[in-house]
Amino acid sequence: MTQAPSDATTIRLEIARYRPEQDERPVLERYDVPYRHEWVVLDALNYLKDHIDGTLSYRWSCRMGICGSCGMMVNGVPKLTCSAFLRDYLPGPIRVEPMANFPVERDLVTVLDDFMEKFQAVKPWIIRDGEQPLEEGEYRQTPAQLADFKQFSMCINCMLCYAACPVYQHEDEFLGPAVLALAQRYNHDSRDQGKGERQELIWSDEGIWDCTFVGECSAVCPKHVDPAGAIQQAKVESTVGWYRSFLAPFGRG
Amino acid sequence: MARPYPRERSNAWFLERWPYRVFVLRELSALFLALYMGVLLVLAARVHEGSSAFRDYVDALQSPLYLAFHAVALLFALLHSVTWFQAVPKGLPLRRGEQRVAPALLIGANYVAMLALTVLVLVVVLS
Ligand code: SF4
Ligand code: FES
Repeated sequence: MTQAPSDATTIRLEIARYRPEQDERPVLERYDVPYRHEWVVLDALNYLKDHIDGTLSYRWSCRMGICGSCGMMVNGVPKLTCSAFLRDYLPGPIRVEPMANFPVERDLVTVLDDFMEKFQAVKPWIIRDGEQPLEEGEYRQTPAQLADFKQFSMCINCMLCYAACPVYQHEDEFLGPAVLALAQRYNHDSRDQGKGERQELIWSDEGIWDCTFVGECSAVCPKHVDPAGAIQQAKVESTVGWYRSFLAPFGRG
Repeated sequence: MARPYPRERSNAWFLERWPYRVFVLRELSALFLALYMGVLLVLAARVHEGSSAFRDYVDALQSPLYLAFHAVALLFALLHSVTWFQAVPKGLPLRRGEQRVAPALLIGANYVAMLALTVLVLVVVLS
């Protein structure tokens, strides 16, 4: 989107502050920061921390949409703040809150333990029954085999999809969009043989069947991973698998 | 040790943003489709009972209440079709070699099929 530079010189931020030593609950505080056409919300936060209030806490690292650490709610929508331009929110104010659906550690910093646990639970690594001998060389993959999972491998673990997911908000056990997409990423990798090990968890209620296909995870994903698609595809596979085991209980699954 | 502020749950989350509202309407659409199926089933039963029963029911269907119901059901049926056609490529990622079949093509195919079936039904009904 190209927009003419605006005449605005300042823009108002409404920032959720939570200082556990003094606040019972998060409170919105208002700050005016300089407006620059090329600034993103994260630039405004950095200005605020450097020049107005050094106690503001938030996470960020790469400033280029790849580390996945700067996710916050911007006007109620999960965004990478390093990719959310101030000019798209003119004339303001811009409400910046910690990612929804996670406990808040302090200010804009959330507690990620639940995600980390679920992340490991799906065994997100290549599982093999046995390694092929070294002299046979690397495990080769055709471009079509790569295409089968590549999209799901683009995830940067920003967790925006969790902040957008009402099922995750209400179901403590639900593995959630990114983790289920990650399971697809390995299940669809031609080098992987761990599908059976992941199956019980993925095909359970905490897995894909809790998903009601709201679809917002895919809408907010900055990397076009399409976790909603991954989950629907896994549902199809799970259903086919169920019928197969039903029709041919002793055959290969 | 600082205490984290627990995550918040909202009982009105489905009202909070448009994508959630559309989701709830999409889910609700199934209810109206089911109700409409009920109307169709009653209609079939009346046909079975004979022509006067059928005519009485058709008359009853012309009451403002039923007409309003049909209008609402039609809107929900359209929403149902549009939202679920939109969802087809998500569950069905067809691939030709490395290339994904364009989602628009998959969605379009559903509209074509719907149109063809509608024409077929109209031809049968009108002939
Ligand atoms: S799937 Fe997308 S939104 Fe979710 S964590 Fe990965 S990159 Fe972020
Ligand atoms: S700072 Fe790394 S993704 Fe935004």
